[in-house]
Amino acid sequence: MPSREIVTRSWEETIQRGREIGEQLKPPVLILLSGDLGAGKTTLTKGIVSGAGAATEEEVTSPTFTLVHKYDRGVRVYHVDLYRIGDLHDLETLGLEDVFTERAVVIVEWSEKLALRTDWPVVRIHLEHVSEDVRRISIDDPAGVLSAS
Amino acid sequence: MTTQEHLILGIESSCDETAAAIVAGGKRILSSVVASQVEIHRKYGGVVPELASREHLRQIVPVVREACEQAGVSLRDLDAIAVTRGPGLIGALLVGMTYGKVLALALGKPLIGVNHLEGHVHAVLLEAHAAGRRPALPAMCLIVSGGHTVIYRVTTEAVNGAEAFSYARIGGTRDDAAGEAYDKVARMLALGYPGGPVIDRLAEHGNPRAIRFGQPKIKGNPYDFSFSGLKTAVLYHVKRNPQLQPEIEARQQAIERGERGADALRALSTPATLDLIASFQRAAVENLVGRTLEAAAHYGARTVFVSGGVAANSELRRLFEAEAAPLGMEVYLPSRALSTDNAAMIAAAGHARLLAGERADASLNAEANLPLA
Repeated sequence: MPSREIVTRSWEETIQRGREIGEQLKPPVLILLSGDLGAGKTTLTKGIVSGAGAATEEEVTSPTFTLVHKYDRGVRVYHVDLYRIGDLHDLETLGLEDVFTERAVVIVEWSEKLALRTDWPVVRIHLEHVSEDVRRISIDDPAGVLSAS
Repeated sequence: MTTQEHLILGIESSCDETAAAIVAGGKRILSSVVASQVEIHRKYGGVVPELASREHLRQIVPVVREACEQAGVSLRDLDAIAVTRGPGLIGALLVGMTYGKVLALALGKPLIGVNHLEGHVHAVLLEAHAAGRRPALPAMCLIVSGGHTVIYRVTTEAVNGAEAFSYARIGGTRDDAAGEAYDKVARMLALGYPGGPVIDRLAEHGNPRAIRFGQPKIKGNPYDFSFSGLKTAVLYHVKRNPQLQPEIEARQQAIERGERGADALRALSTPATLDLIASFQRAAVENLVGRTLEAAAHYGARTVFVSGGVAANSELRRLFEAEAAPLGMEVYLPSRALSTDNAAMIAAAGHARLLAGERADASLNAEANLPLA
C-alpha cells in the first residue's frame, strides 16, 4: 500500500497505530517523521519501537537533547531527533554516520530539516493536529515496507 | 598529604559547555572554568553538533590550562583526572574524554570515568560539604535540566573504608525533559533560546492561576514525569487565542534584531501572554516538586537534592523550600554556578570514586545514553 491516511482520537490510539507499524518493520528501514511541535511524533515512535520489540513504550523518551537514542533489545532501533539542529546539514556531519553502517530501524523526528541520502527503503509519516486529541497520520510507503497490512 | 587533600582535575564536555576544574579533597573548589557555547548556538536556534565538537576541541586545552593556573596547581600535582563519559552528545563527550585519557596516560595519573548525572548529585554534596554540612542519606535527588528529568535515590555504603555512592532510579520523564518543555514553549511564544531563564523572569509578572493546566495522568510508576502534554496544551492555548499572534511576531522580530532578555521581551508582552507564561511555569514546577516530595516521603528520605540547570529556577526553589519544611524534609539546592553544567561536580564525583578504589583504564569509552542506574 503506497500511501494511506489514519486518524487517531487519543494518545493511546496513536501508540497502538505505532505498534502496528513497528510489528511489520524489518531492518534496514528509514522512517522519516514530520509534523509540528506536539503533533505526536515521539508518541508514535513509542508505539513503533515497542511494536518492533526493541524497548517498552515507557523507555522511549524524547531524544531532542542528545539527538539520538538507541534501543537494542533484539531489533536495533535508532531514534534520531533533528529539532535542535539549527542549520542545514546532511547526516554525515552530525556524528550519526554509524547509524547507517548497520542494519537497523532508523526513526528520524523533524526529518523535514535535512536532506537524507540512503539506499534503504524509506517510509515517510506526516503527523498533523486536527484538534486537541485528534491527529491525522499520513503514511507514504513507496517501497511497500508495510505491505503486510 | 592526607586523603582529604587529593587534588582532582575534572573535565566536562557532554553538551554545550567545555569545563575544567580543580577540586581539593572533594569539597574545596580551587578553580572552576566554564566556556559556554550558548552564544555560538543561539544564532542557529539550537545546537549544531558538528560545531559543538569543534568548539570543544578549540576550548579544551586552554580551559584546562586556565583551571590549573587559577588553582595555582601544575598537572604534575594532580592525584587523579576525572572525566565525564556520558550521557551527552557523543562527539562532544569524546573531546573531553579523549583529552582526559591522554593526560592521565602521559602523566601516569589515575583516570576516573564519571557519569554526568552522578556529577549533578555531587554538585549538591560538594557545596554542602564545603559549608560544613553533612546531608543525611538516603536522599531523593531530582536532576532537572534541558536534557534530563529524573529522580534518583542516593545512598552510600562502606567500601575499602570509604563511602561508595549508589543510585537507584525512582522515576523519570516519559517524554520531554522539563527544560526541553521550557525551550519549546519559549519557541512557540518567541522568547528566545534558552527558554528557562526568560520564562522564569517573565512569570513573575503574570498570574499563575489564570489558566489551569491539569497535571499529567501517567499509568504505572507514580514518580514518572510527563511534559509533552503540557507543551501541547500551551500550543493549543496559543492556537485558540489568535489575538496572541501579533505580539509573537513582534517578539520574533525583536529577537532577530538582537533585542533579547526578559526586560526587552516583557515590553512586548501583554498580560494575557504573561499569564500564560506564569501558568505554564506553575504547572511545570508543581509537577516537579510534588512528585519529588512524594517519592521522598514514600521511600523515607528526609533529605531532598535538586540539581541541574532548571534548579536555578526561582519558583522551583521557592516551592521546594515552602513545601518540604512542613514535611520535615531538608532541601539542598546548589548555587547557580553549580546547578548548571560544570567540571567541579565531575571532580567531586571522581574523588568519591577514587576513595572507593576505582580506576579506569585506556579502554574507557564515551556513551551517549549512559545510564546511572
